[in-house]
Amino acid sequence: MNANLRRNWLVQGIASVGDCGLFFVAVLGALPKSLRYWRETCRQVWFVGAMSLVIVMTCGLFVGMVMALQLYYTLSIFGGTAALGTVVALSLFRELGPVITALLVAGRAGTAVTAEIGLMRATDQLDAMGMMAVDPLAYVASPRFLAGLIAMPLLASVFNAMGIFGGHLVGVTWLGLDNGTFWGNMTSTVSLHKDILDGLYKSIVFGGVVSLIAVFQGYTAPPTSEGVAYSTTRTVVFSSIVILAFDFVMTAFMT
Amino acid sequence: MTVAVAESGSPSDALVQVRDLRTRLGAKLIFDGLELAVPRGSVTAIMGPSGTGKTTLLRHLTGQLRPDAGSVRVDGEEVTTLSRRALFGLRERIGYLFQNSALLTDFSVFENVAFPLRQHARLPEELLRNIVLTKLQAVGLRGAARLMPSELSGGMARRVALARAIVFDPMLILYDEPFVGLDPIALNQVLRLIRTLNRTLGITSILVAHELAAIRQVADSVCLIANGKLVAQGAPDELVHQDSPWTRQFFGGDADGPVPFHYPAPDYATELGFAGARP
Ligand SMILES: Nc1ncnc2c1ncn2[C@@H]1O[C@H](COP(=O)(O)OP(=O)(O)OP(=O)(O)O)[C@@H](O)[C@H]1O
Ligand SMILES: [Mg+2]
Repeated sequence: MNANLRRNWLVQGIASVGDCGLFFVAVLGALPKSLRYWRETCRQVWFVGAMSLVIVMTCGLFVGMVMALQLYYTLSIFGGTAALGTVVALSLFRELGPVITALLVAGRAGTAVTAEIGLMRATDQLDAMGMMAVDPLAYVASPRFLAGLIAMPLLASVFNAMGIFGGHLVGVTWLGLDNGTFWGNMTSTVSLHKDILDGLYKSIVFGGVVSLIAVFQGYTAPPTSEGVAYSTTRTVVFSSIVILAFDFVMTAFMT
Repeated sequence: MTVAVAESGSPSDALVQVRDLRTRLGAKLIFDGLELAVPRGSVTAIMGPSGTGKTTLLRHLTGQLRPDAGSVRVDGEEVTTLSRRALFGLRERIGYLFQNSALLTDFSVFENVAFPLRQHARLPEELLRNIVLTKLQAVGLRGAARLMPSELSGGMARRVALARAIVFDPMLILYDEPFVGLDPIALNQVLRLIRTLNRTLGITSILVAHELAAIRQVADSVCLIANGKLVAQGAPDELVHQDSPWTRQFFGGDADGPVPFHYPAPDYATELGFAGARP
């Protein structure tokens, strides 16, 4: 490519999106081979899950509590506080659960994956695997990509559960709503297909996007400490933007 | 038993045959028509000033990097055009010692050495354990089997990497600076190991190193690379006394000579010249 053209940030941005797309295809191509390393995949699921569990649970609790407070106030204007459980659950399942979990995982596990792979690149470990006739795409990249795909919906479910627990804590225990109304309205309105599954699809897509970006940034990080640091930052920035953009698009198509 | 010291090796006899290799990395011309032949069963040392592309040459030999032009044949296979699968097949028969060890940080010393075996051979755990411990014993680190790479010194890490490179008993081993950071005892041990592997198992070895004394003990022949070309080749003792400007400069440590070290920056080049010619 023309050197001057390469320097243009817009062209560079588009080019790196293209690179990432090609990388995605390569990772998909390596998936069948990476089934041999299913142990490695399990280990990575455990890493991503365990790493993010505490932060996801804490944030879920607080988000649920804040939402209950805010929505209680709003609903009380219309005299509809009985719907609190429903509204909290719907916002969590359809929107906040998948999105906030994805943002948290990008910041917690995504950065760790980028830094880890970047350091493996910088210390020749990826080349060493290649020299031992082990494809680093299949052994390193694919398992981490799969792990994000698997862990994200699980973590989002934990987030939702904690959020509803937090909402219950504030709505019923603190503000004195009727326990039966809280749960009854929620269970009768929230639909498995429209709400829970839609949210689950979202978090699966986010899981793929976040782990693809994290793995790609690590894999292509310049082999210096500075390069790895920049790539780690980029993982958070790009993931956040892409998560929110995808969220809009998916919501538009689902509703 | 002695191993024939071939001056250049007849092509059919060569395990590694490099023809007219041309490579440009960034703005720098690394190889400009390099010719190299490594006879089967020999220990060949590759010397040259720092930054001439010795590591790059090893990367060409293993297909980690494709040259711009030229032919690289290893064991009769043209590396530059091999498919990925065939390349991996070839690499299973090549051991490679990285300049900076490149141990996998997630695994213990034992698992690092066991890694290639676990990936490519379905061995019973007992046998695998024996093989790994034998290799670790050979580099004197059987006692360190449970340590993690972060707990090793640089010299120990290099020996572990060496054990990993030989765990498959390959036909060809490429050593990128195996002697750096070794104490005299470990260095002798590694020297003996390289020689044993070569003499008893007939493993061909290519050795990138700067340590002339060590090279004289193991190498059958030395290739001196400078300016992207092979400038001198021969048995180490011959080469040291050979009276060509290249060898005089390189082995005599003269700052002035035909090798303009690195970029045209006179003072810096002089400094590098001394660094590259450690006796
Ligand atoms: N990816 C790259 N892009 C541009 N230049 C490179 C690249 N990799 C290596 N080089 C250059 O190629 C030259 C040869 O590098 P190489 O690592 O092969 O040297 P070397 O002979 O192994 O040196 P040393 O003895 O210090 O290990 C160096 O001048 C280096 O700057
Ligand atoms: Mg080198």
